[in-house]
Amino acid sequence: MRYYRTQGLLFLIPIVIIIGIFYGMIVWDFVVAFTGWQGLQATWKFVGGYHFIRLFSSTRFWVNIGNNLRWLVFFIVPTVLVGFILAYFLHNLGRGEKILWQIFLFPMALSFIITGVLWAWMYDPSSGLINSLLRAIGVNTSQLGWIALPSSAIYCMIIAGFWQYLGFALVIYLGAIKGIPYEMVEAAKVDGASHFTVLFRVIFPNVGHATLICTTMLAITTVKVFDLVWVMTRGGPGVSTEVLPYLMYRLTFDSRDIGMGAATSIVILALSAIMVIPYSLWALKKWVRV
Amino acid sequence: MKERNFVLISGLVVVLLAVVWMIPIYALVTTSLKTQQEVALQKYLVPPERPQFSNFIKAFQALKIGLRNSVVITLTATFVSVVVGSLAGYALTSFQFRFATLLFFFIVVVTFLPYHVVLIPITHILKFLNLLNTYAGLVLIYTILNAPMATLITGTFFMKVPPELEEAAMLDGCKPFLFYLRVLLPVSLPGIVSATILVFVQIYNEFLLGIALTRGPDVKPVMPFLAELKGTQIAQWHIQMAGAVITSIIPVIVFVFLGKFFISGLMAGYGKG
Repeated sequence: MRYYRTQGLLFLIPIVIIIGIFYGMIVWDFVVAFTGWQGLQATWKFVGGYHFIRLFSSTRFWVNIGNNLRWLVFFIVPTVLVGFILAYFLHNLGRGEKILWQIFLFPMALSFIITGVLWAWMYDPSSGLINSLLRAIGVNTSQLGWIALPSSAIYCMIIAGFWQYLGFALVIYLGAIKGIPYEMVEAAKVDGASHFTVLFRVIFPNVGHATLICTTMLAITTVKVFDLVWVMTRGGPGVSTEVLPYLMYRLTFDSRDIGMGAATSIVILALSAIMVIPYSLWALKKWVRV
Repeated sequence: MKERNFVLISGLVVVLLAVVWMIPIYALVTTSLKTQQEVALQKYLVPPERPQFSNFIKAFQALKIGLRNSVVITLTATFVSVVVGSLAGYALTSFQFRFATLLFFFIVVVTFLPYHVVLIPITHILKFLNLLNTYAGLVLIYTILNAPMATLITGTFFMKVPPELEEAAMLDGCKPFLFYLRVLLPVSLPGIVSATILVFVQIYNEFLLGIALTRGPDVKPVMPFLAELKGTQIAQWHIQMAGAVITSIIPVIVFVFLGKFFISGLMAGYGKG
């Protein structure tokens, strides 16, 4: 093995260059955020925290932060919880398990754009699927604007995300539950534990790694969510469904305010780093061969 | 008895929920096959009287350039990403470099960072290289963004290959590259397929770079075309849904026929080695 190490190094060159470019781009993003840019022209003037101060003093930014928090809470909690309980149900079922989890996982293979086109139609107040079904069973839908109302639009969008990602949580939990020693669960049942106790006192503490994977991955998804917003509402009504990635795009490509766009992306970077770095350190333990 | 009741009730809950999960897909497909008059009746759960394949022709006309672009870009970038990634995965798992752990850490981190973090620099690089609005530019960027994930997934699979296999091959005079090509790739074929599928689906489904790095239809991938179709065919639900069906055909085929690898790729990619 030793003799071939130089060749091994050669195999690494492409990825090292790629990783180098990637981190170089992150540094570059900082440079842009702290200097004055006009479109694609650098002016190389150091402006310090000017863009950040402008960003933090705009109400729009804080509306975005609030919306990101809504995603964080109302997307992650239901997805993780329902995914976990569903995995336990499926595991107990024994038969038809495979076809069932494939139904739930299926939306994961679709693009957010397809999900967005589909759900925008379902939520359409006058001719969408949901209101037409409700009308068919006699519900008065004149007040149900779903995605058209500022108060409910973002939650409607989160439900579409929930629909798409439930299968992901389900599959991760299903794998983890299968890893739990059978005797442990049986022993609890023999002791007269209810299913509820088994679920939350015996199984949940033993699938901690699955919970970590799910929450982290879903949390990262919430700071990436862009396609759904673009295709379903374009951030509207008003800015009620805008999230940071969408704001970043708007500022950069529509307002041509590159400095502000870069400042927003630095905020996104900071938020993702909080999740990605600890997760990577944790995941690394599995990688390192002693 | 109590146990049987529980299985019955939980089974019922799961099946009901599965039905709810399928309704959007069902409505998507049936609506894509209806006439505009049928759609206007809003009886979305009723199957179409006579399937209207002309909807698909109309949607396909609007999407075909995007489909062509997506196929070209996605296949090329996936191929390069998996080659680069699997070579790196091999080197990192086999040679016990001292810096391997650190490099792995850097790779894992960038795998999960949002593209927005590097979006502005990407436009600057492509502008500098004069590659904005070209296939080459998009392939280059997609490769940079996806090779780390390919490394992660293939590396996870390579780690399961017993080291004795490599030692035996080396004793027989097999050079590392030949070992990679003739032994490692065939032995870890499931891993290669998983990485390929995951990278492929990710690039094909991508939207942000598709709109940010292209102007006009020439090299624009299909997802931006679908988003535009929604904008131009307002309330033409049957056309919109036909477009959604067309664009989802490729990922659906992958999912139905190679679903097993899709799952194992997800597992490997998200740190469950």
